[in-house]
Amino acid sequence: MNQVLKPAAATGRVLNIQRYCSHDGPGIRTNVFLKGCSLRCKWCGNPESIRPKPELAYDPRTCTGKKACGLCLKPPFPEGAFYVVEGDDDKVRVNWDLAGGCDEALVALCPTGALSMFGKTMTVDEVLDEVEKDSSFYRNTGGGITLSGGECLLQPDFSAALLAGAHERGINTAIETACNVPWAFVEKVLPHVDTMLHDHKLTIPERHLKWTGASNERILANFKKAYETFPDIDFIARTPLIPGVNADEEHIRAVLAFIRPHKNVIDYELLPYHRFGLGKYEHLGKVYELDDYRTPSDEVVRHLRAIIDEAFGRSSQETPAGK
Amino acid sequence: MSTNIRRIAINVGAGFVPGINAVVMGAALAAGKLGWEVVGIRDGFDGLLHPDRYPDGGLLPLGPRLIDNLDPAGAGVLGQSGRVDPFHVRTVNADGMVEEVDMSDELLKRFKAEKIDALISVVGGQGLSILYKLQRKGLDAVCVPRAIENDVAATLVSFGFNSALSFTIEMLDKARQAAQSARKIAVVEVLGAQAGWLALQAGIAACADAVLIPEIPCDLKAVVASLKGKITPRRPYGLVVVAEGAKFVEKAQAQADKQPENSLKASLSPLATGDASEFVIQRSGQAAETVANRLQLLIAEETFPLVLGPWTRGGTATAVDRQLGLAYGAGAIRALDAGDSGVMVAFVPPDIKFVPLAQAINKVRTVPADSEFIQTARSLGICLGREPS
Repeated sequence: MNQVLKPAAATGRVLNIQRYCSHDGPGIRTNVFLKGCSLRCKWCGNPESIRPKPELAYDPRTCTGKKACGLCLKPPFPEGAFYVVEGDDDKVRVNWDLAGGCDEALVALCPTGALSMFGKTMTVDEVLDEVEKDSSFYRNTGGGITLSGGECLLQPDFSAALLAGAHERGINTAIETACNVPWAFVEKVLPHVDTMLHDHKLTIPERHLKWTGASNERILANFKKAYETFPDIDFIARTPLIPGVNADEEHIRAVLAFIRPHKNVIDYELLPYHRFGLGKYEHLGKVYELDDYRTPSDEVVRHLRAIIDEAFGRSSQETPAGK
Repeated sequence: MSTNIRRIAINVGAGFVPGINAVVMGAALAAGKLGWEVVGIRDGFDGLLHPDRYPDGGLLPLGPRLIDNLDPAGAGVLGQSGRVDPFHVRTVNADGMVEEVDMSDELLKRFKAEKIDALISVVGGQGLSILYKLQRKGLDAVCVPRAIENDVAATLVSFGFNSALSFTIEMLDKARQAAQSARKIAVVEVLGAQAGWLALQAGIAACADAVLIPEIPCDLKAVVASLKGKITPRRPYGLVVVAEGAKFVEKAQAQADKQPENSLKASLSPLATGDASEFVIQRSGQAAETVANRLQLLIAEETFPLVLGPWTRGGTATAVDRQLGLAYGAGAIRALDAGDSGVMVAFVPPDIKFVPLAQAINKVRTVPADSEFIQTARSLGICLGREPS
């Protein structure tokens, strides 16, 4: 293994390590969410992963208020960053525009944990030691580590080192990516990947730009090049299914037309849009951009899945091998 | 400072408000009298930060010819930006990746390059915080408060509120006619995530049966009791006005209805986020739907929810807002002429005053328990969701 790719002390910005995951690659997996994303999808379920640096989070439910605490209303907390309004509601509020100076040390002063930070810096070995705790599950189920985000390819050296290190420890590797990065980043990471879950969010470049903040032309070019350059990787296409955005037959058929010529794209999964991430927006002081949207109906999901099953030449009940 | 001013700029924060031209006119006319040149920055700060996007220039000279022909009831002369925050400008970098960058230094350089000595900014809650930060970085700025919900602190009234109020009253009258015709209870949701001024004042004017505002957590059983006393075979209809940020004393039930006490909007910092992003698709209708459904379960009457929401932002400015806009615009110039920077123009009857931005941020102007409007509503028999303690 290339030693340059695996300096044990190399560090990256990790949002979260989530064990016992079953939907992000084969078997039972540990998902490692990295900080930073190069898209701004309006439906994003992980808003805390978007910014590359650690950032302040606030949970009003655990705040005990000004009378009981009020610590953050005084120095050393930044002036004007926290405040209370007149009336019965004694809970502290955050002026997110003035709270930019809050770091981990300051947040640690909050006695109730209402203030916290999303994201921390970790070494390759720290992450892998945590991941390795579930080795027995991986062996029994074919599982392993899945790098997710954010966009894990935005930290190509760290991601490559993590995945190479996982392979050295005998752990299966997968990544979950939207691939909106330069090809050089992709090329650095993919040699260490067993399964690549990749998002086909929208087909038409202008619509992709509208809903995610960037065009998909480079993304599609990256996908095609990846399919052709790394024939041994299992590629699984995915679409987060959002009614009124992409939950339509036209998009599904366009994705199928793109992926089916490539035999190493072994499946196409639909991820019905959910609103689980909504609470996180509150904690970050962000406004959820798709608040009026609802999950797609079972009928729509079934219909679109049937189209995919037909394209893969299987009945609707079958699933691809290893899944 | 006043002797140094030669050229000033004016811009408008995110969120449509009818009649902003009046503020622009007020400022331009008053500045003209002092011999100052005035330019408008198109689309928030975009005209200054990204002049390349504007074939006719990102700055609009607000000379006498343009001002003389400007419709003070209109709102479009300077355009609108989805979000006005030079500290977090969403951009696509050279690598094609989306990111937010701090362009505040670049903005200040652009002010210098354009020889703009001071800025008048027509902004709401979040805009005040951003202007406060810019002012601390050295920008001479005066803010004009603009808020449909009238929730900006330190001023009796923000620009835009009166127009929204008039429109809301008109819509409530129509809702009541619809309720009368259908023999049902209309539950109308109006803007007001943090403060209930719009719901309360419009509800009083439309003689609503009940008005539910964020300041008074609502006991729906009390509303039902009140409605039962009002709805009779001869008057088989009702009108309930609910602010979008209304809260309920029945916490458990509210949670069961997936309507947490601290709704998304309410739990966010009202002065830091708001509804400014062009990428925001507003949630609307939850309060009306929750109240309509709960009432229908508690009372033997049919209900139907209506949502005014963003409709309230459109239309033409009222006479009051036109006068207020002109007064605020002219007042902002007087502030600059007097050497006051980092202030907000405020209407503190009978005067226009200049309030330091530090006193205006991090506050929400809510309806106090002893408000005249509360007392008036109670005197008129309007249920406010809870009996006075």
